[in-house]
Amino acid sequence: MGVQKDVVKFNVGGRIFQTTATTLANAGRDSFFGALFDDNWDLQQPPNNRQEFFIDRNPDCFAVLLDLLRTGDLYIPSNVPERLLYREAMFYGLIDHVRSAKWGPFDGNRLKLSRSVTGRAPGDGTAIRAGPVGGCCVAHGSMVHVFDWMLEEHPPINLDYQRVNDIGWVNSEHVLISACERLGKGDGGMGLFSSSTGDLRHKFNVVHDNQIKSYTAGALSFSADYKIFASCKGRSNEYGIGVWDQVTGKQMDFFYESPGWSLGDADKLQWLNESNCLLVATLFPRKDNCYISLLDFREKRMVWSWSDIGAPFTVDEKRVRDAIAMEECNSVCVVNEYDDLGFIDLRINGGSVRWSSRSRLLKGKMPDEPCYPKLALHNGQLFSSMNDSISVFCGPDWVLTSRLRRCYGGSICDFSIGGDRLFALHSEENVFDVWETPPPPVI
Amino acid sequence: MSNQKKRIFQIEAFQNRVVVDPKYAEKTWKILVHAIHEIYNHNASGLSFEELYRNAYNMVLHKFGEKLYSGLVTTMTAHLKEISKSIEAAQGNLFLEELNRKWNDHNKALQMIRDILMYMDRTYIPDTHKTPVHEPGLNLWRDNIIHSGKIQSRLLSTLLELVHRERTGEVIDRGLMRNIVKMLMDLGSSIYQEDFEKPFLEVSAEFYRGESQKFIECYDCGDYLKKAEIRLNEEIERVTHYLDAKSEGKITNVVEKEMIANHMMRLVHMENSGLVNMLLNDKHGDLGRMYNLFRRVPNGLAMIRDVMTSHLRETGKQLVTDAESLKDPVEYVQRLLDEKEKYDGIISLAFSNDKTFQNALNSSFEYFINLNSRSPEFISLFVDDKLRKGLKGVSEGDVEIILDKVMMIFRYLQEKDVFEKYYKQHLAKRLLSLIVKLKTACGYQYTSKLEGMFTDMKTSQDTMQGFCSSHPELTDGPTLVVQVLTTGSWPTQPSITCHLSFEMSALCEKFRSYYLGTHTDIKAIFGKGQKHELNVSTYQMCVLMLFNNADRLCYKEIEQGTAIPASDLKRCLQSMACVKGKNVLRKEPMSKDIGEDDSFFVNEKFASKFYKVKVGTVVAQKESEPEKQETRQRVEEDRKPQIEAAIVRIMKSRKVLDHNNIIAEVTKQLQSRFLANPTEIKKRIESLIEREFLERDNSDRKMYRYLA
Repeated sequence: MGVQKDVVKFNVGGRIFQTTATTLANAGRDSFFGALFDDNWDLQQPPNNRQEFFIDRNPDCFAVLLDLLRTGDLYIPSNVPERLLYREAMFYGLIDHVRSAKWGPFDGNRLKLSRSVTGRAPGDGTAIRAGPVGGCCVAHGSMVHVFDWMLEEHPPINLDYQRVNDIGWVNSEHVLISACERLGKGDGGMGLFSSSTGDLRHKFNVVHDNQIKSYTAGALSFSADYKIFASCKGRSNEYGIGVWDQVTGKQMDFFYESPGWSLGDADKLQWLNESNCLLVATLFPRKDNCYISLLDFREKRMVWSWSDIGAPFTVDEKRVRDAIAMEECNSVCVVNEYDDLGFIDLRINGGSVRWSSRSRLLKGKMPDEPCYPKLALHNGQLFSSMNDSISVFCGPDWVLTSRLRRCYGGSICDFSIGGDRLFALHSEENVFDVWETPPPPVI
Repeated sequence: MSNQKKRIFQIEAFQNRVVVDPKYAEKTWKILVHAIHEIYNHNASGLSFEELYRNAYNMVLHKFGEKLYSGLVTTMTAHLKEISKSIEAAQGNLFLEELNRKWNDHNKALQMIRDILMYMDRTYIPDTHKTPVHEPGLNLWRDNIIHSGKIQSRLLSTLLELVHRERTGEVIDRGLMRNIVKMLMDLGSSIYQEDFEKPFLEVSAEFYRGESQKFIECYDCGDYLKKAEIRLNEEIERVTHYLDAKSEGKITNVVEKEMIANHMMRLVHMENSGLVNMLLNDKHGDLGRMYNLFRRVPNGLAMIRDVMTSHLRETGKQLVTDAESLKDPVEYVQRLLDEKEKYDGIISLAFSNDKTFQNALNSSFEYFINLNSRSPEFISLFVDDKLRKGLKGVSEGDVEIILDKVMMIFRYLQEKDVFEKYYKQHLAKRLLSLIVKLKTACGYQYTSKLEGMFTDMKTSQDTMQGFCSSHPELTDGPTLVVQVLTTGSWPTQPSITCHLSFEMSALCEKFRSYYLGTHTDIKAIFGKGQKHELNVSTYQMCVLMLFNNADRLCYKEIEQGTAIPASDLKRCLQSMACVKGKNVLRKEPMSKDIGEDDSFFVNEKFASKFYKVKVGTVVAQKESEPEKQETRQRVEEDRKPQIEAAIVRIMKSRKVLDHNNIIAEVTKQLQSRFLANPTEIKKRIESLIEREFLERDNSDRKMYRYLA
């Protein structure tokens, strides 16, 4: 064996580090180290006389980042503050490396509580939404607080200080807010904001009969082909689902609500990629009855619908509180007040709910301020929130496999999964929890 | 109180903001500016990347991002102005080289600056909606170098000059050209198009306009086309060497328009070398070139086609009306054939078998061949001549080829019936002369049968004429055409007798002196209101005749009345009652097959657009079920003696044998012919026992004994 030629020597803030070009190549072209080397990862500037590169940075952080490049694993010693490490990673252009090494691929059964973040907003939270790269945004009243993946808060955003109904991430840079209209002012509606600076980038209009109308925007959903869907209520009974183009920001379509049905008041919209349809669910207690329907915008048709109008209510009060479509199983999953799951077949129009009989242990000890249960689906795992815990169900028969619970903060009023993280918003103390899957084990 | 001025206290807010020393940014920026200078001056090796990166980072971190960005733009602009001057100063040929060198330098510098300012690109740019360093780098180059007043026009004229020099045969530095053109493309496709491509196309059009004018004055058509082809290929090559691939279509359009489309008329009609001349002299190469070049321009091919057609019609007209050629029909047709062959060759070799040209050729021939009313006769004579001569020295294949060619010409004839008339005469003569020759060669006996066939035909015709004239009263009834044939002279089929209807019998009676042949055509006048002449077979005629006396007949009645074999009768009825368009009879019940209980009527509504209706006979495609059984039965019958013989043969040698072994032996013996059925073998054994060839053993009933 000859002399190794690709050794590189660094003097970082007075400490000497030795590494190799191949290790540094893991940093990629768009990094400090990428610029040090030419296209063949040979040193561009051979250190003249001096045998080392001097870098005026923190050596402790450099050690952590060098290990990250060497092993792909992020280990932060207790003497290195996280924020400092992030700063250093920003300097070297390694921040994306740090983020992807910080937590592992999402698995509902391996989640660990990573952090709890407390806010200062008055009143109950409305919604929490996970962003695509690990950030989240939380709506409280008329304000939306945005956090990046380091859980650092960015300038809060609002739409004319109107009450926020729903929020959503269009992409990692932009957040969409739907808000109530202010009578006679033309405020409210829907707005697109920069997630980092909080600037309003675009306000979406609704046009009826060639006239721009003010409206209240409700639930939001996005499709893979860059469309935005929102339930809308106008003052002249213009209720229905509006469709906008994400690229141009223009309204493309409007699906008007038919008499005896509910679309404009919907609590939940869900775009179904496989069947090219939008699930629209209006649930108790917004209305006395529940209405769930699938809309096909190509034919402007309601292709499937279900409602509990006229259904006899037993003592159990099997009222649907949330719904989610599961395309692989051709069914819609619903949940009632007692965390019972029910399934409606999507292949039959007007079928009934098949409730799964789960023991009702919780019934006796309902908290003082109950929250309505919420449902989420991620990679074949079904999540259902109830009071202060979230249950995870797996398999074709949806067996309960895990339960996430934290005693502090009261009931969970909303939760969201995205960017390989689960965010749970509690109704008290203005707190939200971040659940992560740890990085994969070494062996 | 002279000094009444009140003292005004100004209380300033107590500030304890952390402020970066304003000089700091200035100082940091100076370091960076210096570095940028050094990079542009090729002194980058002395710079510390870490220091510069850190300084740029610090500026962004301390909110001097805007200063950094705008400072970069200013510094780069200043440098580019310098560069612009040095490029301007470059003399003559060095201009492009200098430009290219500076462009490469600028790109390298841009890359280094991008590396240094990487942190700004990543954090400051996205938040402020500015473009990353690389893009303003290109835009500044565009604005300060390419669009600077002195360089823009010079660059364009230099590039165009180089292209012009290459067109006039000089060798230019294609690599340099490619680099410069690539630079324009890198700056954006609109820069390439506006700053180079558009003027390039204009100048090219100018150039080719002039050149084509010059060429057309001093070259003949063939040479001109060669030049045009070369030019076209040169331009295509030029695009692959140093232009954007998208320019190919545009520049070839220019060449096509200037060199071909604008001179099409003149080229085609050029004296002594135009299209007509090429056609006359079979210049396939030139014609092919013309075809390929003219194909590229609108109406190009139509023009060639029109000129070719009119030329062809003109020469063809001369050919068919030429008094000289009319003297010798064979020569006349041969010249037609030669002309056809010539143009077929041109179309296949030069015009890539273009269908439209083939159509033009056909229509031209059709036009002039029919100008001469003797064409049909001459073609027949030509064929006659070839067939007579053909027997000597020419192989059958060659004769076939000649005949095929003649057939091509024959198709152009409008008066095909005239040809037929002549051909019949010629054929008759030829046949007779052949028979005479055969007779001389082989003697009288040899040809007697052939002659007999001719005689039969002749006599039958005469007889019929005589028969008709002697019975004038028959013209209204069914007419009869009888061919009387000498047995032995003709290959015949076995005749099956059937009952003829009364009228026919009467007619036949009148024809008593002759035999009734198998194939007889009758013509029956049929139908009400509208008259049709039905051409039917004998069986069909017999059936139809029955209906002259009855409106409705059932199957049995027809069978009795005609005595036609059942299978033939069914087929015959089927053809008349079930075939659409030929259904002179109606059948009840309506169905596709004929049943024994069906009844038939005359179809009163029978209509056909033809006066003459030929009623075919439905072909029996497969054996019907009874037929199949009959055949089967016959086969089984034939097998019986064979099985018996086998049993006897076996028993004769074995004397005693048990049942199973007999079956096995018999099957084995007969398997070369057929697979014997065991039950059948058993039956045969019983039969042989009955006839006392064998007997059963008294003790063992399964054993058989042979009785001698």
